[in-house]
Amino acid sequence: MKIKKLQKKLKEQFPSFAVREENGCRIVSGESDNWQDIIKACCLCVSKDRSVHVVNDVTYTGQADAPMRLPAVQNNELDGRSPDVLIIGGGISGATILRELSKWQLDCLLVDKESDLAMHASGRNDGEIHPGVDLAKGSLKQHYVLLGNRMFPQLSDQLDVPFDRCGQYACFTQGYLRGFVSLYALKRKYIDGCKDTQILSARKLRQKEPQLNRDFKFALYNPSAGCICPYGLTIACAENAVQNGAKVSLNTAVTGMTVENGTITSVQTNKGTLYPKLVINAAGVFAEEIAKMAQDRFYSIHPRRGTNSILDRKAGSLIRGIASVKVLELNTGHTKGGGLLHTVHGNVLAGPDAVETHEKENFATTPESIATVFGKQKTTAPDLKERDIITYFTGVRAPNFEEDFIIEKGRKTKNLIHCAAIQSPGLTTAPAVAKDVARMALDFLQAQKLVLRNDRFDPVRKAPPRLAQMPVVQRNKLIKENPDYGYIVCRCEEVSKGEILDALNAPICVPTVDGVKKRVRPGMGRCQGGFCSPAVAKIIAEHQNIPLEQVTKTGGGSPLLFGKTKGGDAQ
Amino acid sequence: MKTVDVTVIGGGPAGLAAAIEAHKNGAKVLLVEREARLGGILKQCIHDGFGLVRFGEKLTGPEYAHRFIKEFSDLGIEAMTLTFVTAVDRTSEGYALTLVNRNGMSKVLSKTLILATGCRERTAKQVFIHGTRPAGVYTAGTAQNFVNLCGVMPAKRCVILGSGDIGLIMARRLTLEGAQVLGVYEIQSTPSGLTRNIHQCLHDYGIPLHLSHTVTRVFGHDRMTAVEVAQVDENKAVIESTKQIIECDTLILSVGLIPENEQAESLGIQIDPFTKGPICDQGLQTLLDGVFSCGNALHVNDLVDYVSESGETAGRNAAKWAHDYRTFASIEPGNGIAYTVPQRLNTAEAGGDVVLYFRSKKVYEKALLQVTVNDVPVYEKKYAHLKPPEMERLSIDFAQYDIKTGDTVKVQIREDAAK
Repeated sequence: MKIKKLQKKLKEQFPSFAVREENGCRIVSGESDNWQDIIKACCLCVSKDRSVHVVNDVTYTGQADAPMRLPAVQNNELDGRSPDVLIIGGGISGATILRELSKWQLDCLLVDKESDLAMHASGRNDGEIHPGVDLAKGSLKQHYVLLGNRMFPQLSDQLDVPFDRCGQYACFTQGYLRGFVSLYALKRKYIDGCKDTQILSARKLRQKEPQLNRDFKFALYNPSAGCICPYGLTIACAENAVQNGAKVSLNTAVTGMTVENGTITSVQTNKGTLYPKLVINAAGVFAEEIAKMAQDRFYSIHPRRGTNSILDRKAGSLIRGIASVKVLELNTGHTKGGGLLHTVHGNVLAGPDAVETHEKENFATTPESIATVFGKQKTTAPDLKERDIITYFTGVRAPNFEEDFIIEKGRKTKNLIHCAAIQSPGLTTAPAVAKDVARMALDFLQAQKLVLRNDRFDPVRKAPPRLAQMPVVQRNKLIKENPDYGYIVCRCEEVSKGEILDALNAPICVPTVDGVKKRVRPGMGRCQGGFCSPAVAKIIAEHQNIPLEQVTKTGGGSPLLFGKTKGGDAQ
Repeated sequence: MKTVDVTVIGGGPAGLAAAIEAHKNGAKVLLVEREARLGGILKQCIHDGFGLVRFGEKLTGPEYAHRFIKEFSDLGIEAMTLTFVTAVDRTSEGYALTLVNRNGMSKVLSKTLILATGCRERTAKQVFIHGTRPAGVYTAGTAQNFVNLCGVMPAKRCVILGSGDIGLIMARRLTLEGAQVLGVYEIQSTPSGLTRNIHQCLHDYGIPLHLSHTVTRVFGHDRMTAVEVAQVDENKAVIESTKQIIECDTLILSVGLIPENEQAESLGIQIDPFTKGPICDQGLQTLLDGVFSCGNALHVNDLVDYVSESGETAGRNAAKWAHDYRTFASIEPGNGIAYTVPQRLNTAEAGGDVVLYFRSKKVYEKALLQVTVNDVPVYEKKYAHLKPPEMERLSIDFAQYDIKTGDTVKVQIREDAAK
């Protein structure tokens, strides 16, 4: 669409907005108190040319945006450091890139403003490893999803993160759609490269997934779909990188940059000023802010919220793989529509939904999200019940208006690489994207100096042993070696003190209740830490040699406790 | 492999009473407890009021537990503490338990099994509280553990949701320790804790109780900053116009207890959907031969005295159990009755008094309770009050009614005849 025509169309639909073309971007401007209108207007302006992005310059006059949350800590820990590569963002993108770069003799530093890795989208999704069946040829998403999916067996093996290639079923109740969907499957299979796509009869579907709706007439099946623990994988990648010499600094926020002649000369953080040779922007929902700091903003992120419910393992038999009912509708919501998924830990996840929001860090859940997801997914599995929910969580995706990844060098700023607008299937694509981003980084650095391979790179990372899943003999042997493995702290998930200490002694120690919970799962079960949280807090306090009342839930300003009781020196 | 007659899982008041009684009836008993010390939840219940029914005196939780722990150790019964039952398998010789503790893995073969695993607390998400997930959301039991066992304060300024007994006790306890308790919110139109606790824990300290109110939302990213509360209508639907924000750093939940029966479920034992405990006969034997249930794992009790009593019943019967066959009549809750325990009558068992525990569905003043056999009334008792928070206990000798296998015993309220 020519810009003139677009301007006319925009004026017709949204008279208060304007669009102009500048530096290869479509800049939408104006003012509105209606966030949905802003989203619609920006979506309208999306170009067919994949290199042209919509930049949202509309002033939102509705509810004021909360400023980016910053860590409480202020120090000079990193001041004056000049790493070869500074990665901003400790999600799956940043962590996989850090690991790739640790294969080289480079000084790499990853910073994240949160108290742990995977605190935003990477820790708040369902962990599906997508087959790519919903992606048409030509997008970066499609390119990387096929590459990424294949990498998971080896990756999960090297990093000791459970991965289950459990298969995905898109199920249909209308038998008459079978012909149409079969053609779609053929296109996906032969044109879009999603080679495992097949149609499954109702009978075969029932053999594979006996608890699904009996009214399903057939399903679109992709055996290559799988699931993994998304924060577990992120942590494992970062730990492996650290083992191989890379550095991770948590509670570290980038607050500004100095850019001279198209080069980032320094990066300001709450822990001092850094002088990196190269910056990689993997900042998720804040990628646009980082791009702006680097004077290289050519895209906009519009946050999209999604809520998942976690069901008790008792409901685990509801589904073995991943499934959802499909209704024939134009997929306008840019979501795969959610579904049911059997996690590697034996729970069932239901969700997510997709809601546009202007708030990048609002992870609050609402009853409406749960109602939407359950309303739909009860058609997938009639035995799905709200009362099996043990908890729920919200994540915020970081898409751009083109709904495709941005993986490229800075357009104006030379020592910058963007790994931005990563949304679903970003977990699947991450290992493949990381290879390309690392290649780009190496090309840049090798132009300046000789970069040698890290001969001591070891791709293998060992997770804390999961004793509850071991055969008795092996478990017994480990307990004899370390009796702490025989003290069960969390009864729901059967986690021992030894495993908790292993998590605290890992290459990246996050001594918080949530940090331990994400690594070895105490508190993940049906009592949600009711029994074990005092015991876990005590183990953290002992390990860190701090008083119990200094232990936090997620670091910073999240203390569990407020000092001692009146006579509380009983400890 | 070690072999015993009776293995008791859980060393709280039910398990202790069961082990003692099984031992007294001649069984070789092993008690397995996952914590370091016996006593279960009583260890952290330092308030008084325990033992009124049983001992005629007001004891604290630890004092009550101590009486049983002392008898238990005086009798020389074996206990394995800091030991977790990781698997139970049914074999032709009995139940094979796989245990894990600091010494390693071990196996025990037991003729019978007593599940005295207690209960867990319902969590915020299980009562569908939304909003953020900051530090400062605790179940009352967790808060009690922090205060009474760890000597640390989980709250400065708090709201309590649910008027269950632990919530009421914690309202008083936190107040005494200098925290500000802004109010107790209860979604039901009547309190769910014991009347004595409403008076002694709330009224005496000027803590307001807001009936027909609930917490709908939690605010705060790191530590809690506020909650949203609202009134509910008769259908427990939130009345939007009554929503208000209360600034506080802590939300304490006392919104119900759920019997812990994961071990029972893994054995395929049938669970009563109402009590969430195993369906049992009058000997508190579950429908799986040789497995018994007692205490809060069987059904949630409000008085520990009855927890001990059910433990003793289970212990005595487990010791006597010798692979007799069982045949059942059913005991069903009728009009106005929420549930009964037991839910089955073993008709192969000789007569004797059968203890029936039950709760009414709603508050009754002057109610006539009736027991029928195949709809023929056989027993009646008048009650001045019946309310759901207060469990009732009835002792009936069913032998006189000539109950046969397949008969239905119904416990019901005769509303028409009460006045």
